[in-house]
Amino acid sequence: MVLLRIRERPGRPVLTSMLGLGVLLCAAGGLGGQNTAEEIVDRVDRMMRGESSRGRVEMEIVTQHWTRSMVMEISSLGTEHALIRIASPRKDAGTTTLKSGNEIWNYLPRVDRTIKLPSSLMGSAWMGSHFTNDDLVKEHRLIEDYDIEISFEGSRDGVDVWEFRLKPRPEAAVIWDRISYQVRKSDLMPVWARFYDERDDLIRTIEWSEYDRSSGRLVPMLMTIEPADKPGESTTVRYTDLAFDVPLTEADFSLRTLRSPP
Amino acid sequence: MSGPWWRIGWRNLGRNPRRSLFTAGGLAVGYAAVVVMTGLGRGMVAEMIGNGTGILSGQLQVHAEGYLPERSVHETIGGREGIDVDALVGAVAADPTVSAAAPRLYGGGLVSAGDHTLAAGFVGIDPAREPAVSAIMAAGETGRLPGAGENELWIGREMARQLDVDAGDIVVVVAPAADGSLGNDLFTVAGVFRSGLGDVDASVAFIPLDALQQLMALPPGRVHEVAARIADPWDAAAAEERLLGELATDFPGTAPRAWNRFQPEMVEYAALFESMEWVIIVVVFIMAVFGVANTMLMATFERRREFALLLAIGTTPGVILRSVIWEAFVLGVVSLTLGAILTFPVLVWWHNAPPDMSWLYGDFTMAGGLIRPVLRVEYPPEMMVLGAVALFATALLAAVLPAYRAGRLPPADTLAGR
Repeated sequence: MVLLRIRERPGRPVLTSMLGLGVLLCAAGGLGGQNTAEEIVDRVDRMMRGESSRGRVEMEIVTQHWTRSMVMEISSLGTEHALIRIASPRKDAGTTTLKSGNEIWNYLPRVDRTIKLPSSLMGSAWMGSHFTNDDLVKEHRLIEDYDIEISFEGSRDGVDVWEFRLKPRPEAAVIWDRISYQVRKSDLMPVWARFYDERDDLIRTIEWSEYDRSSGRLVPMLMTIEPADKPGESTTVRYTDLAFDVPLTEADFSLRTLRSPP
Repeated sequence: MSGPWWRIGWRNLGRNPRRSLFTAGGLAVGYAAVVVMTGLGRGMVAEMIGNGTGILSGQLQVHAEGYLPERSVHETIGGREGIDVDALVGAVAADPTVSAAAPRLYGGGLVSAGDHTLAAGFVGIDPAREPAVSAIMAAGETGRLPGAGENELWIGREMARQLDVDAGDIVVVVAPAADGSLGNDLFTVAGVFRSGLGDVDASVAFIPLDALQQLMALPPGRVHEVAARIADPWDAAAAEERLLGELATDFPGTAPRAWNRFQPEMVEYAALFESMEWVIIVVVFIMAVFGVANTMLMATFERRREFALLLAIGTTPGVILRSVIWEAFVLGVVSLTLGAILTFPVLVWWHNAPPDMSWLYGDFTMAGGLIRPVLRVEYPPEMMVLGAVALFATALLAAVLPAYRAGRLPPADTLAGR
């Protein structure tokens, strides 16, 4: 008896690494054009470590049955720590998610309780969005899990781009069988990423847009995720406020701060 | 004409009573084996279907047409507007074979207590109606059933163990709501049950329907299912037919389904057992044919001088053949009498007081149906008749060769001892 439906295909990019990828790739902008795809991503990946950020995000979720908007405050430290607090709507306000390493904790203000998410639910949707809990937990270590090569280099719709093809390494514990990324050559801004399963069926697409400067960095302020099997459904995330290199320590990502955010 | 041959057959059996008794005993045991084994097989099928449908699912369910197999939270009966739940339950319960009906709502989420959090399936039930439909409501170990409108849970023993809670303890229940929000609230564990179904005991929590609707942001008219109890599961398919017509006008878009449609693997098992009955009857009586034929050959061989004499004084071979066949028929009557004496007391005894086999094996599930460790026997009426027919057929078949040979004896040579 299937009483509980769990999403079967957890995805990869994280709310935090969503900005991560943007930062990664634009930080690599200073690299010379002669670098291999792997070197670019590796350089970018290492530059991401130790970064901290704080931002405010509007998330709009559109499903077949309902549409809702949420405002969230997000802070992150490196790839291991993230804290996401819902500011609105009122019904969910104060609900907070803490990512610490591979664990996810939720604080529910209505009942004033903190619960740790069981690993069996890592693949299920986070806050009703098209992100999974797994998306939050998995680090964005593309270089470790994937063999990366340039599959296309040239002009698409008048814009010079690279397209990377990522294939998981045999030992990598990842869900996707293939990821394609398109990145603008001029400023190394990501344009889209497509995620495929082992049958090479497209599962979901992420698109980035509205590139803007924040704390001196060019980043995509808007990201849209669309599941391929549910046409018309999407989750859109828009940064309304974003700051990098803010003073945050690991103490800001403890169970105590989960219950009473600063 | 049959009078004297019947008596002669009976008397011939009496010439070597011990041998006749052993032969009849063999056939009687064969008959008993066929009837008792098919009775046990049917008992197991009845146990599987009875428990498989009776513990939780009910023998008939009504859903929105598109609910199965996806079981989407949004596919409630009557769509977004919902339905008059009482009216639908009443309409289902009005079927002559339905003894009770109850509405249900399904959801999923988390149950958390202290440091322990589990993924769980939630079943919203009407505490007043559900006990008449599903036996699980009577499987309580501690505490009591949840009360209507209360934030209370009825959970399995294994879930209680994993959460380290018991009746009276407070837990957090989290469920994604139908509006996309995250429903969460504190609930009290009202009681703990043990159904014997591993998955259910570990991962299903029963919640009063209205409390679950509130948690999942659904209005009172929205339910996923109306489950019905039908005393004889084999009546359910006909009830489905009737309800299909009766619900169509007042509750369009509803789909009644009998258990054989939502648990088809049980039907497969029942068919498998039925085919096994034929294997049993054929194997048992083929074995018996050779034993009886051997005995009859011996019995006729011993009397060859007598047959020769009868032939010598003018008896036709056909009469000799008939006398041996009648002897076999009388043997069949004796065997069946013995078989009935052997079979029926055991059948009645085990049917009314199934022997406890828990010293040998525990509960197990077959095609989702719980099988208790008892030797449950159901009466197999047609197998009692078929077994009797097979018994006579065996006795007569076994007598054909000996009878033929007896009728073909050369009288002079046989009488001369050549």
